[in-house]
Amino acid sequence: MDDSARLADGIRLLSREARYLDERQWDDWLGLYLEDAEFWAPAWRDDDTLTEDVNREISLFYFESRGGLEDRVWRIRSGQSPALTPMPRTTHLVTNTVLDEGAEAGAMTLHSAWSCHVYSLRDKSQHVFFGRYRHDLVYADGAWRIRRKKIVLMNDYIPGMIDVFCV
Amino acid sequence: MRYSDAADYVIDNPDRGEFLVHRDVYSDPDLFEEELRNVFEGTWVFLCLDSQIPQPHDFYCTRIGRRSVIVSRDGDGAVHCFYNTCRHRGATLCHTEHGNRKVHVCDYHGWSYDSGGRNVDIKDQETGCYRSAFGGEDHDLVSVPRLDSYRGFIFASLNADVPPLEEHLGDARTCLDLIVDQGPDGMELVPGRTNYTYDANWKLQLDNGSDSYHLTSTHRSFMRIVHRRAEGKSANTQVKSPDFQKRFDMPAGMFTFDRGHSMIWADHPVPENKPLSGTMGRVRTHAGEVRAKWMLRTRNTTIFPNLQFNDSTSLVLRTITPLAVGRTEMQVYSFGPVGEPAELRRRRVRQHEDFFNVSGLATPDDTLCYADCQDGYYNLSGDWLQGFQRGMAVVTHGPNDPARELGINPATSVLGKYSMQNEMAFHAAYLEWVRLMTLGRARDQRLAAE
Repeated sequence: MDDSARLADGIRLLSREARYLDERQWDDWLGLYLEDAEFWAPAWRDDDTLTEDVNREISLFYFESRGGLEDRVWRIRSGQSPALTPMPRTTHLVTNTVLDEGAEAGAMTLHSAWSCHVYSLRDKSQHVFFGRYRHDLVYADGAWRIRRKKIVLMNDYIPGMIDVFCV
Repeated sequence: MRYSDAADYVIDNPDRGEFLVHRDVYSDPDLFEEELRNVFEGTWVFLCLDSQIPQPHDFYCTRIGRRSVIVSRDGDGAVHCFYNTCRHRGATLCHTEHGNRKVHVCDYHGWSYDSGGRNVDIKDQETGCYRSAFGGEDHDLVSVPRLDSYRGFIFASLNADVPPLEEHLGDARTCLDLIVDQGPDGMELVPGRTNYTYDANWKLQLDNGSDSYHLTSTHRSFMRIVHRRAEGKSANTQVKSPDFQKRFDMPAGMFTFDRGHSMIWADHPVPENKPLSGTMGRVRTHAGEVRAKWMLRTRNTTIFPNLQFNDSTSLVLRTITPLAVGRTEMQVYSFGPVGEPAELRRRRVRQHEDFFNVSGLATPDDTLCYADCQDGYYNLSGDWLQGFQRGMAVVTHGPNDPARELGINPATSVLGKYSMQNEMAFHAAYLEWVRLMTLGRARDQRLAAE
């Protein structure tokens, strides 16, 4: 598979992920992730550096398996979280995706820019979170899936609520 | 309407078992302006930890209420605190939260100050045709009137007329000791900050920090997730969270202290879940059996007006900064012992992220409830809040047995089952609020008369 075809596959997956989140197709969203997928959004250590060691430093999100995401989806569906009731509406934009060259067969690493518009129905406020993604994908059972996702949140001055569906 | 006597905003009638707070305390913008002057600029306020500026020339920028300040360690190791504003045209001098600088240079006209706040350069002074006396005048950064620290916690007061810090903290010092002594080699902020805002008054956080009553309603989804994990229904096995439902029959209580400080406490249902439990051997030797036992309890500590700790699953340090009557900024850090073994630190980090982070499973539910309260205060002003009553029938004035065990002399104490979910700890802050607002109004009247 040449790089341009691979990149096109990768971009399709990223667009699907954004769509599943925005359309609240939670099972389809989880299905993009391998069971042992890592989901990581480091915190900022100071103005210029991000935390790096997930075991000795704080992350905004760190899940060593899909189970962490499944807890979040359960919480959304429970209707028992004031912060998620009513559920905020989101629109994700993912763009500027580039592919790391020289990947092995059946694997790729993508770097993208993202923003997520969040409209909170509770107080009619809206906010834009933005940053960069790194996706590590593998080809397994006839489809590309996410082995690892790293999210850098650039604006970490957070208005009261942020969750996995806002990044 | 506004009460001319600040004491009228709080009904404190122990004989009738009444404690009521007026809604305007949270929603009146004029009262908020008074609070900035009389509370945040009227008493000791927590700035940062000594360990955040360990080296010569390290600095940390923060705020005391609305005032921006620089906390800086000079070349000789002494700590200073200045208003963050150049003496020349008043521009804000420092825009970085922390770092190391021998010299702070103003972006505007280049006046420079060393890490002790001394003016070391007035750009082109020799060609400035200043009058002759100018060179001998004070061009240094303006220091805050009072600066002191207790066991690594640095505080300042913009009001010179305050008692020494240790007197201000009183026996709440023991509550801080129970935190600091968890680290025989010292305590450190775990790297990785969380800064967030919420759309409500600063006192909503102050109250929530010692509110055990909201857990089963606000954090219902978190508690059910913890339960699911315990039952093996969740694939998430990376976090050890105790089932707090189990503690309802366990002993619990609270202490209040003069000057607004308080601590609620409860026996921990699964103390071995706390990262601290893994280093208890040394901690017992370091702090003694009694204090070690207290460290394993869950304890929420408020040092009025802007510093809070929640020591339940892991230990979190929170600072509260008021931005407007209905808007507040929070800074939240995980706090742990220096040299903590890797596995315990990992557990601490995961517990912090799971519960305390603004991206966690609990904090967003709190912040949105605060906003609901704020909306409620705008919606119906002039009423009295009924959220200060649980435990009223069993409050002890002075120490109870747990206090005597700790060797402290609190203003009030409560001992009972956790299921009481007492609201008595809130009282301290409102009594201190009345005291400071009353002092401030008297000061204003004196100034107006002069």
